[in-house]
Amino acid sequence: MESLTMGNLMFLAPEIAVVSTGLIILLIGVFMSPRTKNVLGYLATLGVLTALVLTVESFGTNAALFSGTISIDALSQFFKLVFLAVALIVSLAAIKYNENSDHTEEFYTLVLFATFGMMVVASANDLILLFCAFELASLATYALAGFEKQNARSLEGAMKYFIIGSVSAALMLFGISFVYGATGTTSIPAIAANPAILTGNPIGLVAIVLLIAGFGFKMALVPFHMWAPDTYQGSPSVVSALLAAGSKKMGFVAAFRVFILALAALQPDWQLAFTVLAVVTMTFGNVVAVSQTSVKRMLAYSSLAQAGYIAMAFVVMTPMALTGSIFYTLAHAFMKAGAFIAAAAVVWMVSSGKTDRLDIPDHLDNFKGLGKRMPFAALSMTIFVFALAGIPPTAGFMAKFVLFSSTIQAGMTWLAVIAILNSALSLFYYARLVKYMYFLPPEGQKIRMPFPYAAALLFAVAGVLAMGLWPEPFLQWAMEAAKVLV
Amino acid sequence: MIPLVFYLGLSALLFSIGIYGVMTHKNGIRMIMCIELMLNSANLNLVAFSSYTGTLNGQVFAIFSIALAAAEAAVGFAIFMAIYRMHDKINLDELKILRW
Repeated sequence: MESLTMGNLMFLAPEIAVVSTGLIILLIGVFMSPRTKNVLGYLATLGVLTALVLTVESFGTNAALFSGTISIDALSQFFKLVFLAVALIVSLAAIKYNENSDHTEEFYTLVLFATFGMMVVASANDLILLFCAFELASLATYALAGFEKQNARSLEGAMKYFIIGSVSAALMLFGISFVYGATGTTSIPAIAANPAILTGNPIGLVAIVLLIAGFGFKMALVPFHMWAPDTYQGSPSVVSALLAAGSKKMGFVAAFRVFILALAALQPDWQLAFTVLAVVTMTFGNVVAVSQTSVKRMLAYSSLAQAGYIAMAFVVMTPMALTGSIFYTLAHAFMKAGAFIAAAAVVWMVSSGKTDRLDIPDHLDNFKGLGKRMPFAALSMTIFVFALAGIPPTAGFMAKFVLFSSTIQAGMTWLAVIAILNSALSLFYYARLVKYMYFLPPEGQKIRMPFPYAAALLFAVAGVLAMGLWPEPFLQWAMEAAKVLV
Repeated sequence: MIPLVFYLGLSALLFSIGIYGVMTHKNGIRMIMCIELMLNSANLNLVAFSSYTGTLNGQVFAIFSIALAAAEAAVGFAIFMAIYRMHDKINLDELKILRW
């Protein structure tokens, strides 16, 4: 057992920054009046920004901490970057959302703890730690989804998320217990070290089924997706951004670690399952998204489709496909978080005006003429939806290009064709949103965009465009991360 | 010593009862009880495996998961409490504003 030294703790500096910011906010928030609590939002943003800088600085370090339960490698650092970027966007935008609220400190503490849980999942090298961190992030987001206690939609979304999330946690735990029973260890490298035990063992198959169901809920792959549209629509938009862009990626990084690293011996089994799941997920998501009138619900179905594309990595499994898929998670984090924040700005606009449809604040009708009412929100929403559809020069295009071309290189042309057809279909409902924003007449006054939303959108737009126009450094990082997996 | 299969059979049975309960019950409290049943059957598995493989990881894991199950129930009851205040019951079938 190595002792805990300052040098060791330095590897965890981003996590420590996030947690201590959360604790400080919880502590001092109690003594503040609702009017001064706005400061807490800036404090949270500062903490996340510090963690982000520390993570970027620590790229390229490799370490194993706490008896090998935490592994700091390119994969963990890349996903920490994803989670912290989402947390930054969310905490910036939430400054406006929490204005004059009495529960500001709870909101930010939950966001920061959820982010911490996701970061630990990204670097977990032991199934016990992975499960605990997974649950930490889940519990914090259950509470966040139901944050508007007087809002029936928010509560209904939270209830569905809670029930399905905790059933999936139980499935996952049951699956992990079988993996532990067969191999006698919970350490991921040790499980991978004796592949002979699991192959051809019925216990291995049972574990695979349970684990795919458990992680599939978090990743919102299709038979396990029922909660996602309801929760994303019902939750406050800033929380939907955290769920769709952050929490879903946590499912992916956990699945990468558990399936590709730990259960590599059972690759033929889970590969078959993921082939079916990926194809069904992307097709179902895109087809159902076409008929949605609530923009947040449409974004939720589009995020199902995107999860289907990312899951192609499990099917193709070449280093380039993994690179593409890991790059896609970062691109998707910016695009989807940004799109939900733009929806949040519209919901705010609707609730402060009187002429719009208030029953469904994110109804497509409320986006009519947004180009005239809130030019920046409309412009950035346009960039995000075009990025989601995969139009150059955005991050979405680069991500799809790398992922789909590597699929063709690996000889799976049929899968690439399905994915590209799906992308074409998705352009229909994204373009419809753009039509509503720019070509239909506005039904209300022009409104000045609040600074926090503008700042969050600006950061997301910058990320989407930077990854589209200058993708080399990001692709390089993604490649390093993919090397951990193969 | 009781063979391992008996423990695994019992936990599989408990797990199935839990899943069946989650799928058929409409009352929120009963659903949480069924979820607890599922989590505890997994704990039983972990402890049984721990004893048969002679490693302690499983027992440590079981302790962590008991604590997590308690936290999960707390969050769940908080959500149901808020629902109860709004609807005066926690019949989850009646929450259907969000669909398609």
